[in-house]
Amino acid sequence: MFDTKPPLLEMQGISMHFGPTKALDSVDFTCEPGEVHAVLGENGAGKSTLMKLIAGVLQPNHGVLRVDGKEVSLGSPKAALRLGLVCMFQELSLVPDLTVRENLLLGAPGAGLGWLNSEGLSKAQEVLNRIGGENIKMAARVADLTLPQRQQVEIAKAIMKKPRLLILDEATSALNASVVEKVFELVREERDAGTAVLFISHRFHEIEALADRVSIFRNGQRVATFMNGEHDYGEIIDLMVGQKIEELFPQKMPVLNDAEVVLEVLNFSWDTQVKDVSLSVRRGQIVGLGGLDGQGQAAFLMGLFGLLRKTDGMTSIAGTRIEIASPKAAKHQNVALAFIPEDRKTEGLILDQSIQENLELAALGRSDLDAGDAALYASSLEQLALKHGGFGLPVSSLSGGNQQKVVLSKWLALKPRCLLLADPTRGIDVKTKTQIYAILRQLADQGTAIVLLSTDYEELIQLCDETHVFFDGAVVASLSGDELTPQNIIAATLNMSAQVEADRA
Amino acid sequence: MLRQISIDSLMPYFGVVVLIIVGSFFFPQILSADYLTQQLQIAAFLGLLATGATIVILLGHIDLSVPWILTGAAILSTALVGSGNPVLNVLAVPAALAFGACIGVVNGIGVAILRIPSMVWTLAVNSMLLGVAVLNTGGFNPKGESSTLMVTMASGDVLGLPISFLIWIAISIALALFLVRTPFGRYLRSIGFNEKATFLSGVSTPSVVFAAFAIAGMCSALGGVMLAGYANQAYQSMGDPFLLPTIAAVVIGGTSILGGRGGLFGTIGGALFITLLTSILSVMQIDDAWRNIIFGVIILAMLLFQTLRKGATV
Repeated sequence: MFDTKPPLLEMQGISMHFGPTKALDSVDFTCEPGEVHAVLGENGAGKSTLMKLIAGVLQPNHGVLRVDGKEVSLGSPKAALRLGLVCMFQELSLVPDLTVRENLLLGAPGAGLGWLNSEGLSKAQEVLNRIGGENIKMAARVADLTLPQRQQVEIAKAIMKKPRLLILDEATSALNASVVEKVFELVREERDAGTAVLFISHRFHEIEALADRVSIFRNGQRVATFMNGEHDYGEIIDLMVGQKIEELFPQKMPVLNDAEVVLEVLNFSWDTQVKDVSLSVRRGQIVGLGGLDGQGQAAFLMGLFGLLRKTDGMTSIAGTRIEIASPKAAKHQNVALAFIPEDRKTEGLILDQSIQENLELAALGRSDLDAGDAALYASSLEQLALKHGGFGLPVSSLSGGNQQKVVLSKWLALKPRCLLLADPTRGIDVKTKTQIYAILRQLADQGTAIVLLSTDYEELIQLCDETHVFFDGAVVASLSGDELTPQNIIAATLNMSAQVEADRA
Repeated sequence: MLRQISIDSLMPYFGVVVLIIVGSFFFPQILSADYLTQQLQIAAFLGLLATGATIVILLGHIDLSVPWILTGAAILSTALVGSGNPVLNVLAVPAALAFGACIGVVNGIGVAILRIPSMVWTLAVNSMLLGVAVLNTGGFNPKGESSTLMVTMASGDVLGLPISFLIWIAISIALALFLVRTPFGRYLRSIGFNEKATFLSGVSTPSVVFAAFAIAGMCSALGGVMLAGYANQAYQSMGDPFLLPTIAAVVIGGTSILGGRGGLFGTIGGALFITLLTSILSVMQIDDAWRNIIFGVIILAMLLFQTLRKGATV
């Protein structure tokens, strides 16, 4: 290297343990100004710990951190912020009861004691406009925003702090392809202006599109760093997992056209948000729901599970018409619906309760099941390979992927005839994803109707047998077989269905 | 039941032992059986109220209508007895309990269906009950008397132990078993931690809320009936001094005011501790002002200790 300028951030021999578990084991890591550095690894590989060290949330047990070649100690997030190290965390850090404006001003430079400074707001508004958040009102309460909108606010909040090093930890996990592209443009611009960006994502195509350099972590160690493009998809996965994963997605089985219909929904409508949706799921089928956020697909799933009032339409399972007024009615053995909600931390699980108590919560209300019977959960937990330190520990002690396994097992214990999933693999590592895909495919083959809402179009293509794309509350395209291509899905999400028709012809 | 016995819930019991030991240096008569059984008898009134409050606090809510459910139940039962009609005499206690349960359901409707914060809704209910009671009695102490049953419940004893104490412990044990052995108990804690996730798990959360508030209402009503038996009459505002000590007893017993965590075992200790502390402070020959200050400081010290201990383990 001719360049003698020290890197923006240099970490040397960093170790971090939580009790006996080593989260990071003498890691060396550097980040240069003007680069997008992707950090990859399974959940629990140490990525998040690394980011928390940089953001000053945690302090390392051993090792040295240098910014611009000068040794620093980051005792608090404020100290990191002063050096221009800004982190947007995977766990959303907005205060739900404050408005967007108040949240943006929290921790903004110059805010603190004294007068609030609203200078940064115009910048934030500009950022929001650029990343497709123009309809987010500054006066709206954060609690009333959707998950993707909250992520957009998070991004704006991070950018308005004028970072020298910007950490995006799963920053785009709830966002759609078109919004993600806008965010990327913004990130590239920041990079070209000399900002270093650390980017964590579980979506490979995003990393391929954005990263300059890639570092891979495994079990608390950095196992490789290389320029983007040097290794292909398969090699990267092998590096992350430390073993070969043959197939990310399980093999699709041909579904016979005369296979029995397990779930049938006719003319389902709600308010103005879901318009006249009809679909059916045959035995062995996984049906996908795609579309931009808030086009009615999430409301449709919630409506099926009895979470919405005054829905119209007809739902039948195995030919019997059913009426579902509440989740309690939905899980009754005569109906046997199960719903994996979008936000596992606040909707799927009770984080403070033990793994055991969480597993039992759905089965408790079923008179035909004994919730205390470990056999109910054993097979799915074994197949999903839940990593845990004891069923008595709180579920918050698990990594994100393992938490989702608990949510799945909790519902699979009820042997649902129809399983509704709202983006179940969001922010989850590859290995867990393959396990979830495999169990979904197996359930489908055993006759469970599976409806999968996903923001990751690879899932809609590779895992689903048929995908319905929502726009403005209605299904604008139903794709299956060869029609399932990224182009068709993206075109349909933007309601350019005419084009899809033309392609078909 | 055993799971409920955490260090937090043992704290008030240590506190009780310390109070007795320290108190006995100044007043040796504290160690007498008479004094101690009297404390058990009095603790039962606060304890019954705190038992109901624990259920509601575990749920993540709070019941501020305790004072006037208590007073209302006392007025109702003494009035029925005072009517002289033998049938009404027998019905006095069940009617008071039914009254408590009804008000509990009203509380539940406000919280679970109308989604009004429990702190506001139950306060409003408390105020309305006060108004109804004043309208009914014209602001004077209500007429009436306690039945023999009520007096026995409050002041009788069996094998040297006060009946009020036995009733309290029996109800605590029954409810504790109910909380541990039935899905209701699990749901109660789950709602206290995360109502949304519990509802999405297919639990009819409103019915759990109704039941919890109804149980709490019945506990408050029973407390009122027994206090009326103790004083042999009902009087306006007899419940008012009990509200804050009730909540303090629950929290000192290790139940989180935010819901989900805690149990009845700690509450028993909390009620004993507060009763004993009040009693010892009142036999000390000091100013009322100082008595209140010392009471507040000791309660704060207990809670601070719990917080610091938790901070150390995280």
